[in-house]
Amino acid sequence: MTRSVAIAAVVIALLAVVVTCEVILHNAPEADPLGKRLLYLPSAEVLRLVSLGNDGLMADLLYMWSIQYYSQFDFREKFLYLDTVFNLITDLDPRYFDAYRIGAMIMSVQKHGDPNQHKEAIVRLYDKGIRAMPEKWEIAEWAAWDAYLVLQDTDQAVEWMGIAAERPGAPYVLQRLYGVWRDNIHGWTVEDSIAHWHEVLAGAETKTEINLATSHMYDSYVTLHRRSLDPMLRDYFERTRSCPESWQELVDAGWLASVPTDYLGNPYGIDTTTCTMVAHKKIRWD
Amino acid sequence: MSNVALRVEDLKKTFDPGLLKAKVEVLKGLSFEVQHGVIFGFLGPNGAGKTTTIKAIAGLIWPDDGAIEICGLPHTDEAAKRKIGFMAENPYFYPYLTGREFLDFHAELLGLARDTAPTRVSQALEKVSMSDRADRLMRTFSKGMLQRMSLAQALLGEPELLILDEPMSGLDPLGRRDVRDIILAERERGTTVFFSSHIIPDVETICDRVAIVVDGTVQAVGEVRDLVAHEVEAYEVAFVGAAPPALTTPVLASQTGSDASWVRVDSGHRDQLIRELVDDGVRIVGLSPVRSSLEEFLLVHFQGGES
Amino acid sequence: MRAMLAIARNTLREALRDRVLYLFLGFAVLMLVSSKIFGLLTVGDEGKVIKDLGLAGVQFFSMLIAVMMSVLLISREVDGRTVYNILAKPVRRWQFLLGKYLGLLATVALNLTLMALVMVVMVRLYSGEWDMGLLFASAMILLEMAVVTAFATLFAVLTRPMLGTVFTLAVYIIGHVAEDIWLLTQHITAGVTRPIVAAIYYMLPNLERFNFKTEVVHELSIPPGEIAVTIVYGLAYTVLVLVLACVRFSHKDLT
Repeated sequence: MTRSVAIAAVVIALLAVVVTCEVILHNAPEADPLGKRLLYLPSAEVLRLVSLGNDGLMADLLYMWSIQYYSQFDFREKFLYLDTVFNLITDLDPRYFDAYRIGAMIMSVQKHGDPNQHKEAIVRLYDKGIRAMPEKWEIAEWAAWDAYLVLQDTDQAVEWMGIAAERPGAPYVLQRLYGVWRDNIHGWTVEDSIAHWHEVLAGAETKTEINLATSHMYDSYVTLHRRSLDPMLRDYFERTRSCPESWQELVDAGWLASVPTDYLGNPYGIDTTTCTMVAHKKIRWD
Repeated sequence: MSNVALRVEDLKKTFDPGLLKAKVEVLKGLSFEVQHGVIFGFLGPNGAGKTTTIKAIAGLIWPDDGAIEICGLPHTDEAAKRKIGFMAENPYFYPYLTGREFLDFHAELLGLARDTAPTRVSQALEKVSMSDRADRLMRTFSKGMLQRMSLAQALLGEPELLILDEPMSGLDPLGRRDVRDIILAERERGTTVFFSSHIIPDVETICDRVAIVVDGTVQAVGEVRDLVAHEVEAYEVAFVGAAPPALTTPVLASQTGSDASWVRVDSGHRDQLIRELVDDGVRIVGLSPVRSSLEEFLLVHFQGGES
Repeated sequence: MRAMLAIARNTLREALRDRVLYLFLGFAVLMLVSSKIFGLLTVGDEGKVIKDLGLAGVQFFSMLIAVMMSVLLISREVDGRTVYNILAKPVRRWQFLLGKYLGLLATVALNLTLMALVMVVMVRLYSGEWDMGLLFASAMILLEMAVVTAFATLFAVLTRPMLGTVFTLAVYIIGHVAEDIWLLTQHITAGVTRPIVAAIYYMLPNLERFNFKTEVVHELSIPPGEIAVTIVYGLAYTVLVLVLACVRFSHKDLT
């Protein structure tokens, strides 16, 4: 009994020593605690070899580690090796959706350094994901929204949304979003816009979808018609020193074959104060 | 029909241990026969080739040359294997099987009919006195019990030829007696028993015939009593009174008693001793040949083999 | 056939009574605990992490069983005197070896099936979906283990238990890095080395062929033709290795 008690006491004492040492070492300040650990990150090829066919799991573990790791940084600090880490994760598992979106999110959060470089890094990361998952519209859509809302780069947003809209299984609404955004940046000719809205209208199934597509179509036609009708009104004004009250005057004067109508068949109006064309958009939403 | 249960003819086997090691010739043309219905002992010193021979018979080792027949059939024939029951030295056991499950398994290996197998298992257990312990896990068995179970699986197929490698090894005297009784009972049933053993008194007691193996060949084979009968190595001369002090005949042993004494001399000096005693006026009361025991006989052959 | 099946049944029974199923239980506990932890640590799709971990666990634990049990169930019996009483009976050597192999494979299959079911249930709990693709990936892992177990059987016959374990693990590792050997050949331009390395690559067991984890986790389509060829590859390799094992064992002196 005494011997057992003595052995138990020795074991407990040794455990206490071990735990105390670990507590002391754990709390000791480390020089460059964040940078040093990352110096030993192996390449994707090495990790792939080590994982023995479990690349996905290796990517998961690295991803989870990176979340804990970067959560230690203040957003004003430089997030060390951010590019490297998320490239490593996405090299191991090129289809790791969360790695792209969270990686981009972390990249966008940091304030230290050149914002343009951060943006380039985000674009590179998303481009990599979009290339790696050619059948997935979700990654391109997510990237588009990040570009639109976070990066505030509508051109980039339009590009990615266009890719998303073309991918198999993409929701119908993406086509509309793409059209709206592209119209907003005047990123195409009005003829291309009209062609796009015809396509969107052809795919519309519900009344709401039809009305929305029709509405955008209407706006594009207005832009198209305004291109010729507004200059005509200006010419007429310069010649006659007055703005016509109605389009019939231009028809009577032989300037037009008939009264111009909008996409819905309703005649355009004229704003006599500015002497420009007026569209009376009437779409029944019920 | 041949009377030979087991024939081994000119058996040769050389082992090649490896690249840098010399080959070892273990069997150098070993031959013997075992008749039906006898208990045949197979004796020899360590390294003589006993185990190699037994393994060759059981098909565990492939001889380089020679022939082995079991009941007239080549020993590798399936029909030949059905005629034998084999018990290895230091038997393996499956720790998580019960004794009965172990025998059921061996019954399957023998291809016993499924309706009669349970009966045969029970009979085998009965023979080795393990019926009441058969449903315990084998890892709880003692060495003696494991030996019995190993013997039971050898008896399961009601073999014509039992091949036992050291069947009494590691057993206490009671255990050895039980195994001896089983072997004798099998002979009564007509089973031929072939076994190797180091326990010479057991061999002497139960074997009908014995083969002495030394250095890969059979040095002697025959009935036990015949093997030792030719060898009268000494004589004991008993006489009245004490031994004469100035005996010139070389004496192997002597004992002086109050009324009588005896002196032992080797066979060659028997007549010289008798003449000397008679000349000294000693009254001789007895003359007995001292025959070698099997152990002593073996020692002579073993040493001959070594030289 | 009856003897072979008896040996297989006995081998499975020995493994089960040797508490090999504890490994399955260990796996189940690992899945439960790690799923909870990963749920706290990760951001996004928990289901993916659980699938990756589950499939890796199924593969790892199955490999562990194949290697460990081959030592206990085959090497120990072949290397020692344990096999004497069996082979002295009318049992062919190949029947014994195949019986042992089938028993060992059955042990691996039983554990693998239980682990796969646990994994499917865990995924259902955390992501709400019944992902039957996980069962397909597990079946392919079983085919991989059939090949690994065949090698374990071969090495049990060829060499001592400890070396056999090492060689089997080496086959497992090489089988998963065989692709890199192939890539190596692409960088070699010197004359005779490249075809030699290529020949070695084609002959080595490429265990990555049975790895459909990425396809299952990311719900990618797999051409049925590829599956069929993979199955043929696995079965043919298994039979090849077992034939070699049986040939060697049939000539082996059991000293």
